[in-house]
Amino acid sequence: MQIINVKNLTKTYITHKRGSGFKETIRSFFKREKVIVNAVNNVSFTVEEGSITGILGPNGAGKSTTIKMLCGTLFPTSGEITAMEFRPYADRKRYVGEIGAVFGQRSQLVWDIPPIDSFNMNRAIYGISQADYKSRLDELAELFEIKEVMHKPTRVLSLGERMKCEFIMAMLHKPKIVFLDEPTIGLDVIAKAKIREFIQKINATGTTFILTTHDLEDVKQLADHVIIINHGVKVFDDTLQNLQLNLGEKKIVELTLEEPFNNSVLDDSVRVIEQKSPLELVLEVDVSKTTIGDFIERLSKKLSISDISVKELPMEEIITQIYEEEKTED
Amino acid sequence: MKKFFNIYFTCIKTAMARALAYRLNFVLSMLIALGWNALFPLVTILIYGAGASFPGWDFYEVLLIQSVFLLSTGFAFMAFNGVLWSTMHHIREGSFEIVLLKPISPIFFMIAANFDPECVGMIVGGTVLFTIAIVHTGVASVMAVGQFLILFTAGFAVMAGINMLMAATSFKWVGNSRIPEIFDSMMEFGKYPATIFPKPLQGIAAFVFPVSMIGFFPAQALLGDLEMYMIISIIPCILFMLFGIFMYKHMIKLYEGVGG
Repeated sequence: MQIINVKNLTKTYITHKRGSGFKETIRSFFKREKVIVNAVNNVSFTVEEGSITGILGPNGAGKSTTIKMLCGTLFPTSGEITAMEFRPYADRKRYVGEIGAVFGQRSQLVWDIPPIDSFNMNRAIYGISQADYKSRLDELAELFEIKEVMHKPTRVLSLGERMKCEFIMAMLHKPKIVFLDEPTIGLDVIAKAKIREFIQKINATGTTFILTTHDLEDVKQLADHVIIINHGVKVFDDTLQNLQLNLGEKKIVELTLEEPFNNSVLDDSVRVIEQKSPLELVLEVDVSKTTIGDFIERLSKKLSISDISVKELPMEEIITQIYEEEKTED
Repeated sequence: MKKFFNIYFTCIKTAMARALAYRLNFVLSMLIALGWNALFPLVTILIYGAGASFPGWDFYEVLLIQSVFLLSTGFAFMAFNGVLWSTMHHIREGSFEIVLLKPISPIFFMIAANFDPECVGMIVGGTVLFTIAIVHTGVASVMAVGQFLILFTAGFAVMAGINMLMAATSFKWVGNSRIPEIFDSMMEFGKYPATIFPKPLQGIAAFVFPVSMIGFFPAQALLGDLEMYMIISIIPCILFMLFGIFMYKHMIKLYEGVGG
């Protein structure tokens, strides 16, 4: 069953261009040039109840603007959003009582006091009974292992601890839909894993999640439905399986060598995508044809390695590949 | 209604906890406010100490006006002043979405969440000056006390309107920390007997930007010198508050429209 239906969503901003340099600064003080920005352009999609939808895209793609419109905190310039029985921007007050949101770079916690006081404030705002509040808080605090942490002032908490508290803040009133804007940004591997585990557990109870991210790993581990937005335009809208099918399983390996690179390690599963110098290069490895372990073993036998790092395919690369796929199909 | 009181008092408790988190800062802020208020009638003291006066007004009558002004601004700052700074902060940081995510009126949330207990110093200072003044001037009648309370409430509405207007302008003039100074200068007219100003200015201070209601008119009620136009000016006070609320709501709509 569809829980969110988005039709031809468009958001246009008018901003002012400010010049750089003294002359331009003085000029823009008296006359500013208007710039029209199409942040989101004619985007349509649906979200199934109980699913996890990942909205992917590079920085400035329009992901956050889309999620803000879905949250009801921004008016669309045109287009329609229906979430549950609400039009988010028109029924904001009633609608936001049914949703939760975590903005990775905007805190809902009060900085100077312990998170428990912020939780209590949300209890009053959402009209949660004391009994429900206590049982829900106990359950969430246990899940996140933050029973001690939530009594310390927010300002002394680590980013990971703070993010866990942000999640609790957003989940206390048992929202039907949860919007997450870059929920794992800046977190270490362990904290990311904990947040992902939490999302999966809450999702198993029927809560719908929509998350924006530029971390492909978030999507791979969580999402069953993927939307990719680039320059405000939807470029992909399908299942994770189909995205992986389209792209293949690829990893990026950055190498620093002690002796100049030779082509002996290259075969149909490996290609050079950038050579910065004879000693520094970037390879793309198709892990459907070889495992990363096998590749590194083969590499270390043939080359003397000074440094190595394995990364996901960059978002820009994914989008380029999707465009190329579309061109080929046309 | 019960839910609103519950939210308001829970938010006040949170604001208290936030203010008391830094104990020395809280105590210092209170003491500075108290000290500043002790100096509040300095100009009046200097004028009357030099043998001069505001024509038709004795020292304690002027002190009464100024203490009422101080009490009114003290209560209003406690209730509304944080709205301006918090709005400014949210707009500059682009985090007003956090406010809009709460399933209550954004104005109500901003007022409740930004309650400022440090203004207690102003209220204590105002109460001391008020007591000194009233001991010397006396109160005209019991009815005068009733009239005072009504006009004081109207003055509170003006202060609410001023704070809402200031906060509303910060949506457009992002980062303009001079906004309070502009409004403070305009409010100056409210802390002196209006009769010392030219007639057109008296009219503006009563009906257009009704700052006379913050100190002068309620003090006149206590002194038993209330005039009909002062009672009529309750209407512009309420309209002024409604205008402030309307402007703030309008700016929120614009933010919802252009933010991001």
